[in-house]
Amino acid sequence: MNLQFVLMQLFNGLILGSLYVLLALGLSIIFGMLGIINFAHGAFFMLGAYAAYTITSYVIPNFWLALISVPVLMAIFGAFCEMLLFRRLYDLPPLYIMLLTFGLMLVLQDAVRLLFGSMGVPFGTPKSLTGMINLGFMYYPSYRIFLIAVTSLTAAAVWLFLTRTRLGCIIRAGTDNPRMLQALGINISKTMTLVVGMGTGLAGLAGVLAAPIQNVRPLMGMDLLVDCFVVVVIGGMGSLGGSVVGGLIVGQIIAIGVMVWPPMANTLIYLFMAAFLLIRPRGLFGREAFHE
Amino acid sequence: MERKCHAILMACSLLITFFLLVVTPAVAEPLKISVLTDMSGPYAGITAANVEAAKMAIADFGGKVLGEPIEFIYRDHMCKPDVANQKAKELYEKEQVDVIFDCPNSAAGLAVANQAKIHKKPFIAIGSGTTRLSGPDCNRYTFKWAYNDYMLATAVGLWAAENLGKKWYTITADYAWGHDLLHHFSEALKAKGGTLLGNEMVALGTSDFSPYILKAMNANPEVLVLLNAGKDAVNSTKQAMEFGLKKKVKIVHALLFIEDIKASGDIFADDYVTGAWYWKSDNPGSKEFVEKWKKQFNKPPNWMNAATYSAVTQYLQAVERAKTKDALPVIKALEGHEFRDLLANPGKIRAEDHMEIGNAYILKAKNPSEIKEDWDFFEIVGVIPPDKAYQDPKETGCKMDTTE
Repeated sequence: MNLQFVLMQLFNGLILGSLYVLLALGLSIIFGMLGIINFAHGAFFMLGAYAAYTITSYVIPNFWLALISVPVLMAIFGAFCEMLLFRRLYDLPPLYIMLLTFGLMLVLQDAVRLLFGSMGVPFGTPKSLTGMINLGFMYYPSYRIFLIAVTSLTAAAVWLFLTRTRLGCIIRAGTDNPRMLQALGINISKTMTLVVGMGTGLAGLAGVLAAPIQNVRPLMGMDLLVDCFVVVVIGGMGSLGGSVVGGLIVGQIIAIGVMVWPPMANTLIYLFMAAFLLIRPRGLFGREAFHE
Repeated sequence: MERKCHAILMACSLLITFFLLVVTPAVAEPLKISVLTDMSGPYAGITAANVEAAKMAIADFGGKVLGEPIEFIYRDHMCKPDVANQKAKELYEKEQVDVIFDCPNSAAGLAVANQAKIHKKPFIAIGSGTTRLSGPDCNRYTFKWAYNDYMLATAVGLWAAENLGKKWYTITADYAWGHDLLHHFSEALKAKGGTLLGNEMVALGTSDFSPYILKAMNANPEVLVLLNAGKDAVNSTKQAMEFGLKKKVKIVHALLFIEDIKASGDIFADDYVTGAWYWKSDNPGSKEFVEKWKKQFNKPPNWMNAATYSAVTQYLQAVERAKTKDALPVIKALEGHEFRDLLANPGKIRAEDHMEIGNAYILKAKNPSEIKEDWDFFEIVGVIPPDKAYQDPKETGCKMDTTE
């Protein structure tokens, strides 16, 4: 095992981690604000990838256009889901809305299967990003470098939005205590629509970015979703910083696991999660309030 | 005298009753054919259409056998062995079917083979590829049609060692099917005097193959063998391309269908795989079958569909030869039967292990620039005769129980 291989593998872990970060951020803000675990999140991710496929092969064959338009379209889709479906169940016990998102996941997956077939659809790397880049110490596919750049920028932008703007301030306050926010005269239902829209948009972005690396398949979200729950649990339920750090940690655990003991690579994250929760039950940055 | 008359009358009525009870129902009850396949699980994109292939075979046979219309039903096992086991039981017991076809997923196939043995009714396995069905787990009522893992690995393995290079690297899906293939591929390579530079066992459903691709690159092989299927095949090939490995080596796959290529664009271009048939084949009846299929589904059939059509047709012909739908006479009519049809030209059903054998084709995926017709993704670059493509029946480990 040479040094170059180890470095390359750490980079691969970063790629995987970046996708987890995007998905976990969305899961986390939705969980924080609405108090629900969104099972449809993986389906939103898959839908983003299919939207990108539809745009690049039927509308305009341009990856960049898909990269910009898909998150926006997905955000609108998510906002509609919130207004038409989620909203009706806020007053009922949380189990109902969890069931709703689970059902939504199944409906979306089967709808895509009906429309596009169960075999998946082709999605190539954009022409301008094929090939390798010399990083000085190794060659690395340029698309993967691009993916790391986009996710870091997005994570930073989300971070700035939540910490530096008034709206972000409201969302953070809402994650802490939605009822208090309402008592202060803030229209919380609009904020909830926005939060679900934003989370869905992030999932859509992750879908577009993952499409050239993985294939576009109806069940592609399922595989990532379970890992993302691990990320959110390790990072701390509802914590944004936790999603970022948790995502990167889980990505690296898988990457290192693959180098050391491949058959265990995918199981390792669950072992890590179990061990971690024994030491710190609320996760990395989770607030105790969530575990009353 | 009166007593004699009575005795004769008694004997006659007994005979008639016997005839009515036993013989008549067998003729009057229509033959019932069933397909048990994966219609909503991971292989659905490949095997769901086997139902249509069976329907087409029945329709082309005239819809009737021994003067009675043929009944047809199908069940979905969702690629789960336990579901397959239960559905097979239901088909034989409740639905009273005379035969079950297909059943992809090796574990599911073995479960159904066991049900066939219990119920003493034929099962013709198509989709499940394990060599155990015509090896250690063979039984009088189970047949294996069109291919098995030995043939998938050995045919393209022998050809690749001779034509592509003798230094190999393998990436194997870490479960029974992958291990089995790895064994047969290494044997084929050894037979041709090649060397296996290394192997990677990869968990099923891994999305990131890059570390394995990197290891393979470091080993500098001439041929990269990917012993996986479906999305694993897509992901590993895509990443071999991304890291530039595809430019340096030839890639050989264990299993690849036209639907896989349709679903993933040009990533498979120039790769090699074994196939039991290709829709451009000019075997007798092949063109007509493809023509009809294209008219109905707007795409050509894959070789699993063709194998289903062939198996159902051969079974129906065996029923005609046996002049009954009873299991044992039909099985005897199938055993050792030689034929030529759309799939196998020539084909033979070996009596020793119930394996239906035919030529194995080495398929090379075309470059996008060479594809002149939609779905014409492969080019046949080699043909391996049945005696090379399949294991000698003495070595399969099958001890056929011929007691009745």
